[in-house]
Amino acid sequence: MASSSSAPTALPPRRRPHPKLDQAKRSWYFFRRNTLALIGLAILVIIAGVAAYAATQKIPWTAIPSECVTDYGPGNPSSGYPGPYNNSGCGNFQLACTYSNTPPPNAADYCSGEWYKQPYPYEPALVPPTWTLKPFSAGPLPMGGMTPFQGQGLEGSFIYNLYNAMLRGSDWSLMFSVGIVGIGALIGLMVGAVAGYYGGILDDVLMRLVDIFLSVPFILFVIVIVLVVSADVHSLFGLTQAYTTLLLLVLSFAAVWWPFYGRLVRGQVLVVREQKYVEAARASGASKGRILFKHIVPNSVYPILIQFSLDVGTVPLLLGSLAYLGFGKFLFPSANFPEWGNLASIGVTPMTDIVTSCTTGVLACDLPWWQLFFPGLALFMFSLSVNMLSDGLRDAYDPRLRR
Amino acid sequence: MRMTTYIVRRCLLLVPVLLGVITIVFVLFHALPIQDQLTAHFGNPPKTRPCAYMPSCPCKDETPTNALGSGNTCHCIGSNVTVTKETLCTDPIWTHDTTLLGLNQPVWTQWANYTYRALTFHWGRIENESTLGSTISLFKNMKVTTAIRIFLPYTLELAALSLTIILAIALPLGNLAAANRNRPIDQVSRVISFSGFALPAFLLGSLAVIGFVLLLSPALGTTIHPPWCPAGETLSNQFLNSWPQTGSSALTPNCYGVGVQEAARNNPYPSWLILGYQSTPTGFPTIDAAYHGDWWLALDTVLQIMLPALVIAFGTIATVLRFVRNSMLEVMNLDFVRTARAKGVPERTVIKRHAGRNSLNVTVTVLGLTFAGFLGGFPVIESVFHLWGVGYMLAIAIVPPLSYAMILGSTVLFTYLVVAANLIVDILYAYLDPRVRLG
Repeated sequence: MASSSSAPTALPPRRRPHPKLDQAKRSWYFFRRNTLALIGLAILVIIAGVAAYAATQKIPWTAIPSECVTDYGPGNPSSGYPGPYNNSGCGNFQLACTYSNTPPPNAADYCSGEWYKQPYPYEPALVPPTWTLKPFSAGPLPMGGMTPFQGQGLEGSFIYNLYNAMLRGSDWSLMFSVGIVGIGALIGLMVGAVAGYYGGILDDVLMRLVDIFLSVPFILFVIVIVLVVSADVHSLFGLTQAYTTLLLLVLSFAAVWWPFYGRLVRGQVLVVREQKYVEAARASGASKGRILFKHIVPNSVYPILIQFSLDVGTVPLLLGSLAYLGFGKFLFPSANFPEWGNLASIGVTPMTDIVTSCTTGVLACDLPWWQLFFPGLALFMFSLSVNMLSDGLRDAYDPRLRR
Repeated sequence: MRMTTYIVRRCLLLVPVLLGVITIVFVLFHALPIQDQLTAHFGNPPKTRPCAYMPSCPCKDETPTNALGSGNTCHCIGSNVTVTKETLCTDPIWTHDTTLLGLNQPVWTQWANYTYRALTFHWGRIENESTLGSTISLFKNMKVTTAIRIFLPYTLELAALSLTIILAIALPLGNLAAANRNRPIDQVSRVISFSGFALPAFLLGSLAVIGFVLLLSPALGTTIHPPWCPAGETLSNQFLNSWPQTGSSALTPNCYGVGVQEAARNNPYPSWLILGYQSTPTGFPTIDAAYHGDWWLALDTVLQIMLPALVIAFGTIATVLRFVRNSMLEVMNLDFVRTARAKGVPERTVIKRHAGRNSLNVTVTVLGLTFAGFLGGFPVIESVFHLWGVGYMLAIAIVPPLSYAMILGSTVLFTYLVVAANLIVDILYAYLDPRVRLG
């Protein structure tokens, strides 16, 4: 049988791609057939492109004219300033102007001069949008200014043109979403994998912890954590106070977000750890850590990825809701921080009053509808595209749902 | 495992969860700076700040008029004392407050006191100077349990109505979408559910308020009113804007029932909640109206929460719809469905009898968990529509100055409700699907 040298040589084995690649190709095939998912992917790519563009630009903002500012000096009750005090010796001021026809601010440094600079010509607050679209080169599209607001933000006290604010907000929104859900999912992955794999007492304790975290009302948890932490921590990793506030926002949301993932991952790990290949790995003497992180976690990660992409779309909506409830000034460094959710809540809040006064009053009045419409549209498109994408992913990766 | 054993076991599991929740809230409170803790207990006075709240303790030399209570306003104008947070004062009022609240006791004692208060429903009273206490005189110094008794029925009615809407839309649409997979109806349901997911509640709610309440409603006169009432006299005109009312006009009965002032005097509920009735046996506006036999009013109370319920339903329908569709798809791939088809059972019957019933347990789970989430209230929706439910209460309890009593009450209540709802869902699940092992 093994004698003859004249026997025809065996055919070379058919070249098959790496199994992972093969699976990815098949998934891409199913994904490609889903039109809605493709549309979602396209919108998301556009948004990410805008965010990347915005991150490279130095987005102009407008400083508050000094003649509009009444300075109360260091924040103590004797100065007559009604509060709240920031006790920094600077920044306890009130605005007097309505920003209609005020002249451009002179460059007098207010307070330290560091955060009161004048990088951009002043624009009046409420300019209706004009529809002369000048793509990319010719500067911002006039969309009306923001509602003037006091606050010490990343660049000091600022007013953004709405177009610029939305540009600026695109990368903030994306970074918050991915950061919060990413850190939360990572913690949840660790906890869930350990609980599901080791079982026993550890499992019980960790899952009770998850139960406890899920039983505290979400809003209360997040806000009180932010209040507690921001009362004590003013600077992390050498960052300025504004960036520290943003980092704390991400961290506190992640601290509340992980239990969802912990529960999800545990359920998945419980299924995967009974599979034959895990048994094989155990039989061949792999260590527990290797089994957990080489075999179990990679194979239970798809549902988490899908949940991840779903959750990313809800973060700006959540931030907007919290800002609408009046927590914007605690979450962000400034009440008019350019984040899409915050912008939408700023645009929506005065709207009912304006409409009421318009319907009851005799004066003709212009609704600043663009302040509501554009941030709302951005929020909607972002969340919609993320949802369509994750739905397509689920259909492509879940063999029970595709046929 | 028998059902009773299972239920007892689940109830025992409630104990660590409840203790954990109380501990978390306690730890968060304890981590606040001490003047914030004092503010959480006494509220933040808008104009005069009692010495107790001053971190700088400027009144050390002055003699306060009162030991503690209403009169402890010492005027500290002109003091430029800057004291850091760590510098606790030896001021008698400060010490008195701290001692009174037990803030100087060891942490374990404080924790034990807090837990005892939480578990025995000694949730305290709404602070006079808190947001709720200072804006509405009725709630001043009211027990939190009483306030919750007023607020919770509103939330429950809202939750029940929106759950009904969700059921009525999501179940048929989900089944239809699964039966016609990837056909236009599936895509339409998909787009509807995505839109509900992607539109934040505050935006949709505000748009609904602007569109329906402010613009459309005056034109259409959407409020239901009895035929003997003049058309202009809507409920909101009569009760919302006119309370509290003084003078003789308050005592004359209006066309809905009794005078506003009289109603407010005779029971603890605010008149815009009881809508002019002298007794509220249940606290649920609709049920009370029906109890008194006023069907117009019952209809009107439902109509008033219809818009917020629609907004809630639109936002939540996405999840339920996806679950219904996917569980239906999974069941339709199973063998017994194929067998039924092969037998020649008509497609309608297959979907209705074979697949539909078997996908029901997932649906029940999702609906139960959704309802459990609803029980915590809808902070955003209730704020947008000015509905006084527990969610609104929670939302104003968190706005600094934090309200110690209201936060304690609403967290413990929320935990009880959520755990109870989860238990009921699990029992239903085991009842609907005999394959589920209780364990």
